[in-house]
Amino acid sequence: MSYEIAVLTSMSIAILFALSLNLITGFCGQVSLGHAAFYGIGAYVAAMLTKAGLALPIALIPAAVMAGLVGVLVGVASLRVRHDFLAITTMGVGFLFVGIVRKQDALGGEIGISGIPSVAFGRPGLLLLALVCMVLFILLSIYIRRSWLGFAFESISDDEDTARTFGIDVSKFKLLAFVVGTAGAGIAGGLYAHHIRFIGPDSFGFVESITVLAMVIVGGIGSIAGVAVAAAVLSTLPLWLQFVDDYKLLIYGSLIFITMRFAPTGIAGIVRTLWQKRQAQ
Amino acid sequence: MSLLKVQNVSIRFGGVDAVRDVSLAVEEHQLLGFIGPNGAGKTTMMRIIMGMVRPQQGSVEFRGKDITQWSVHHRVQLGLALAQQIVKPLHSLTLLDNVALAAGTRHMRNPLQAFLNIDRSEARDKARKLLDFVGIGNVNNAFPSEVPLGFIKRMEVARALALEPGLLLLDEPLAGLNQTEARNLADLIASLVTPTRSVLLIEHNIGEVARICSEIYVQENGQRLMQDKAERVMASAALRQAYLGEHKS
Repeated sequence: MSYEIAVLTSMSIAILFALSLNLITGFCGQVSLGHAAFYGIGAYVAAMLTKAGLALPIALIPAAVMAGLVGVLVGVASLRVRHDFLAITTMGVGFLFVGIVRKQDALGGEIGISGIPSVAFGRPGLLLLALVCMVLFILLSIYIRRSWLGFAFESISDDEDTARTFGIDVSKFKLLAFVVGTAGAGIAGGLYAHHIRFIGPDSFGFVESITVLAMVIVGGIGSIAGVAVAAAVLSTLPLWLQFVDDYKLLIYGSLIFITMRFAPTGIAGIVRTLWQKRQAQ
Repeated sequence: MSLLKVQNVSIRFGGVDAVRDVSLAVEEHQLLGFIGPNGAGKTTMMRIIMGMVRPQQGSVEFRGKDITQWSVHHRVQLGLALAQQIVKPLHSLTLLDNVALAAGTRHMRNPLQAFLNIDRSEARDKARKLLDFVGIGNVNNAFPSEVPLGFIKRMEVARALALEPGLLLLDEPLAGLNQTEARNLADLIASLVTPTRSVLLIEHNIGEVARICSEIYVQENGQRLMQDKAERVMASAALRQAYLGEHKS
């Protein structure tokens, strides 16, 4: 039973993490190759606070705030860059995070932080907390998609110059996407730290950023259901199949390539097409 | 007081004067034609008015406010709207939602307001009426990739109208259309002028401009050539010289 709980916890955290990137990349069209940095910020903040005696549900709040604040800084710095330049900038942020953490003794340096306390009610308690956070983020994503905020995001994602001609202050909307998305990643990171109970700089490197990007792309950029399904499957594959864990970067990189080349709308797009064909018949 | 007053604007790209010391005014309830040969700087003027480029000299006033340094979205919020020369539909949205998005611009003044508003039915109703008005109400739910260029041009006009502008800037809306389509769209443009809305029409199709505009502004090589009643402009030797290189006899 504890194995199933661990798998479900991993899955919930991955879905939350992937949906947080989906809000930035899928909803608002801002490519990010350094999302793991915000996952890492949340993990370190939450781990240090719970080690200092704070309960995890409380510690997740400053974890989200800190990740969101850094998200604002990165967002502001990224406002003038687009597309591939934005991808490279955010990739740089990811490397910068790992580089800084490695040199900070207060953060455990290369060794990282171990002995992260367990959550009240143990593993089931953590699973419940992860499920609540995941469901809340799914509901938030659905609400945003249906609101005028989602409509504005959609126009910015499609063509931000045209969005400006509708009177939309594109910079503010992009910044909000960064804040909400990175705060979501911070919460996912805080949960992850208490799931694994050991974190180090390498847990939040480029591979992790590519992994979460693969979940978004394979699921279907912008699709809440598609990304959730892809995150659920891709996060559990390494637990079931050892070779997936061994060749993670190769496999996820290939998945991104294959999806972008043959089915750029991902799982969601394939399901939609099949459904439309069936309706037409 | 003029609705739009552009005064002595100049802009250089590299070593080229795209617009040099140009002044232009649009009055309330006016359809002003804006013509000039290729390279006259017509689209650059439009971009200066919309705030897509900033002039190195001169000023732009709209509704009595100096908007020279304002960003595009602020100008739109003040009452300017643009239908661009190269059509720019949002490809992920249907024609209806392209227009509905513009119709709901007041919901998107800031992200919080946009977050708190969820109802799109009012904007969609308004979009349906506008698409009917421009004559493409029968393809509401089509995507831009599924309809001909003429339909997208009309959708762009509907989208600009949805913003309820005081001044509508139309940049070569008739380009790429056949004679019948151009004539129909020109008639529609003429009907857009109301006591609360003026139109500045940049166009290469001089015949249609002369037919629907009572006044025409002419620009050549980035400089103002003349602004006068349509019949006087069409009869002027300077216009023929600008277009055909003819010399005054």
